[in-house]
Formats: sequence, C-alpha cells, structure tokens
Amino acid sequence: MSKLALHSPYSMKKTYSIRRIVSTIGWIFITIYGILTIYPLFWLILSSFKSNAQFFSEPFALPNQWMFDNFITAWTTSKMGVAFRNSTLVSIITLLFTLLLSGLTSYVLARFNFKLKGLTMLFFVVGMLIPIHSTLVPLFILMKQLSILNSYWALILPYTAFALPTAIFILTAYLSTIPKEIEEAAYIDGTSLWGVFFRIMLPISLPALSTVSILTFLHSWNDFSFALVFISKSTLKTLPLAVSNFADGFQTDYSLTLAAMTLSVIPTIIVFLLFQEQVMKGMTAGAVKG
Amino acid sequence: MNSATVKRFIAVALAPSLILYSLFVFVPVIWSAYYSLFNWSGIGQAAFIGLQNYKELLSDSIFWHSLGNNVIFVLASVLGQVPLALLLAIILYKSNALQRFLRAAVFMPMVLSTVVIGLIWNYVYHPQIGILNFLLDALNLSALKMEWLSDPDIAIFSLIPPLIWSFVGLYLIIFISALQNIPGELDDAAKIDGAKGFTKLFKITLPMIWGTIQVALILCIAGSLKSFDLVYIMTRGGPAHATELLATYMYNATFSTFRYGYGSTISTAIVIISLLLIGTSQWLTSRRK
Repeated sequence: MSKLALHSPYSMKKTYSIRRIVSTIGWIFITIYGILTIYPLFWLILSSFKSNAQFFSEPFALPNQWMFDNFITAWTTSKMGVAFRNSTLVSIITLLFTLLLSGLTSYVLARFNFKLKGLTMLFFVVGMLIPIHSTLVPLFILMKQLSILNSYWALILPYTAFALPTAIFILTAYLSTIPKEIEEAAYIDGTSLWGVFFRIMLPISLPALSTVSILTFLHSWNDFSFALVFISKSTLKTLPLAVSNFADGFQTDYSLTLAAMTLSVIPTIIVFLLFQEQVMKGMTAGAVKG
Repeated sequence: MNSATVKRFIAVALAPSLILYSLFVFVPVIWSAYYSLFNWSGIGQAAFIGLQNYKELLSDSIFWHSLGNNVIFVLASVLGQVPLALLLAIILYKSNALQRFLRAAVFMPMVLSTVVIGLIWNYVYHPQIGILNFLLDALNLSALKMEWLSDPDIAIFSLIPPLIWSFVGLYLIIFISALQNIPGELDDAAKIDGAKGFTKLFKITLPMIWGTIQVALILCIAGSLKSFDLVYIMTRGGPAHATELLATYMYNATFSTFRYGYGSTISTAIVIISLLLIGTSQWLTSRRK
C-alpha cells in the first residue's frame, strides 16, 4: 500500500507506523463488520437444522442433531414445490419478455437516430423514479377489469414493465460501445433489420444480456408486494408469498419456518455466489457516472 | 434499405416496450390521481367527491405520523447507509481476496427476498427467543432488553438496522466503482503534493465522486420510500400504527378498509412527496462548478 514517496527517512518512519495502526484498526473493524453482517444468514441456515427444543434453549449453539427432516416437512406441508414452480415460471417468462423487449428497444435507441429519441430515453429514465407502491392500487383495479388478477400474467406483465428501464439502460450503454462496422457489413449484404437484430446484435450483447438476466430474475424471484396484492389463489403463490404465509400460520413451529426460509434463499445465494461480479454490477448499473 | 422500412422497424421495435411500460408504470400513476377524487369501496359505483379526500388526508393524524416515519427512514438511510457504505468502500476498494469476500458478504442481503430478511430480523428481535435479547442476557445487560417490535415508542427505530443491513451493500458497490474510476494520476499527484489521509479524502476523493454521492442519495431516498415489504412483514405497521409508513397505510386503506379512493389519495401523495424529496436533495447537494 505504501509506495515510494518523496519523504525524508524521519517522516517516512512516522507516517509508516501511524498508517499501520490506522490501517490495522480499519481492518479489524471491517472484518468484525463483515462477520456481523453475514451472521444473521449464517444463523438462519444453522438454526434450520435444529429441533424446536434446541432452538429455544440454545440459539447460538451448533445443532445437536442435524435435522434434515425439517426441510422435508417444510417442503411438503407448505407446498413449497408449488411455490417454487410458480416463482420459476413467472421469473423465466418475465426474463424472456424483458430480454426481447429491452433488446429491441436498446438496439433502436443505440443504433438509430430519430426525432423522438431523446424523449423516449427520458421517458424510460423518469419511470425509474416512480415509487412502485403508488401503482399497486391502480394496477389492481386495471387487472381486475382486464380479468387477469390471480393469473401468471398479473405478475409477468408488471414485472417486465418495471424491469424495462434498467434493462434498457444497461443494454443501450453496452451497445453504444460496439463499433458500427459490425452491422454495416450485414446491411450491405442485404440482411434485413430483423435479421441483424437476431443474428448479430443479440449474440454480441451476451455479456450485457446476462447481467440483465440475472438482475431481472432476482427481482422477479424476490418480489413480494406485487404478489401480495395481485395473487390470492394459493395454487399461484410465488415463493416470497408462500414463505410469508407460512410464517404467519405456524407461529410456534420455528424449525419448520426456518427450514422453509432457508429453502427459499438457497437458489438466490447460489446464483449470487456463482455470478457475484455480474450481480453486483447489474444492481448498481446506472448509478455510477463513469 | 429505405427509410420507410427503417421507420417501420423502429416503430415496431419500440411499440411493445412503450405500451407495456406506459400502461403499467405511467398510466397507473395518473389513474391514481384520478381515483383520488372519488369515494369508492371497490365494488359498485364510485362517487365523485372532488378534493375531499385530500382535505381528509391533511387532517389525518395517521397520515402525518406515517409521513414522519418515512422521514425517519429516509434520514436513517441517508445518514446511516451512505456514510457507512462510503467508509466501507474506502477500505474495500482494492482487489485482494479478503476484500472481495467482505464485499460479497456485505452485499449478500441485497439478493435475499425482503420476506426472508424481515423474518430473520423478527427472530433477532423476538422478546423471548430472539438472539438480541439472548445476547444481552449473556453480556449481563439484561436491563437493556426491550420489546423491540411491540413497544410503540421504539418499534420504528428497531426497523432501522434491518433496513441498513439490507441496502448498505448496494451503496458499497456503487461507491467502490466510483472510487475505482478515479484516475490513478490523481493519486500520484496527491502523493507528490504531500496530501495524505484525511486531507486527501476531503479535498480530492470526495469531490471526485460527488456526482455518484448525489445519485446514491436519490436512490437512498427513493428506496427508503419503498420500504413497504420490510415493515409489512415485521410489524404490519403496528402496534397501533406506530410503525405505519405511507405505503403500508395506503395498502391498509385500500385493501383492509376498502377505501379505494382514499388509498389512491395516499398513493398520489407518495408520488408527490417522493419527487419533492428527490428534487430537494439534488438542489441541496448541487455544486456550483
């Protein structure tokens, strides 16, 4: 950390040791903070292996018996399978729609010039500031009138709509960095615009598309407010909704609730551990003026 | 390829996004404002009552209390998340293994569902079996034990740690990117000029990333106004509206007491307040260049 500097030997020695102290304190602080911040999650997973009795008496200890049964019971009694299926279905379809729509929009915004281009971009950016909860009531009414409440569309459509601004932001930024010569050759060859889109632009934007995918998937998977308001049929409940109901109904069966919670977060943790850089980059896209 | 074909393609390419987006994001906000002028239970006819809902809102003590809670959240976020994230970023922006591990650890809550976060912290705060009270017992600080979530006076403040825990990772990564974007030459120039430590921090680093700090503030404000999930899961806005937020109040007014018109009024109020807060924060932090 300390590089060559134009210092006299005296000041160098003094700054070196003060720096060391400050730096060490900094590291101790940060490591403690790191441990504290990850502890709740660690505690959750560990506790989900405990029996109810041990959970009550020894919250901090390691499980006496590793009760894998907790998970099986949690899965069957709360019908997690159904919830998992619903969440997966909704998230994947939302993802596909978002990729297609944002891909098309970003291609146009990044590659063509037309009169209302600036306005269109502004339109999508402004939308990011709208508090989503203000749309809950009117969307509920709208969907009731369209008779799509309590259906997968009740989630897929709003999820896609709200995922679009960020997706478009990320993709447009990425596409702008790609030299135009790439499509030019195809145009000269007579490829149609659609051809260029599907055969050139999409494959080339793979890195950005994967960032968008992870982001959109995570948001759909974890959403609670929309699912709460738009879905009441138990066969259509997504994971967050199912887990929240579970916690309400089984007030005293803590190990089951914990097991259900653990089951629901395992996928997201795995995705995060595998795709750390992309997840972090995606979620912070648009915030950094590079 | 003629321009008519290009124009048609542009239109077709943009149409689905624009339609979906306007219909599900913009139109609802406008509709909300429209419904706020009515008295409606959700079924049957809606009765037009003009601005009466707004009059009621202004004298509604729960509304003001909720607004106050939202302000508490915004302040806690801005004064808690942002400086903390900045501090962590300054320590963690280089790229060795320990730093990357710590970054991931701090960021992890961002990928968890708010439901799980709320439930975990419910367990932390549980008066009988919660680990917080357990810890206080173990440290012989039992006197400090409280009904963290059921005491109306402190409940709203108990909700702040989970809030910070959830989101600080986001700002951490944002600030790290910004810090990594500071050109290396500035670092060297600073060394040559003898600027180190705090001087360097305040005179060089912070001004360089000021734009990012501003954006982080917007996100912070917008985000804390969105904290519906956490409060709903942990306290449902209780006890007796002690932790009510604008968003939970809106939810309850609409879906529990079936006052769609009034709920829409609160909705519209949220949008207006949101825009005001964001505008103010930008104005307060703008620098004359």
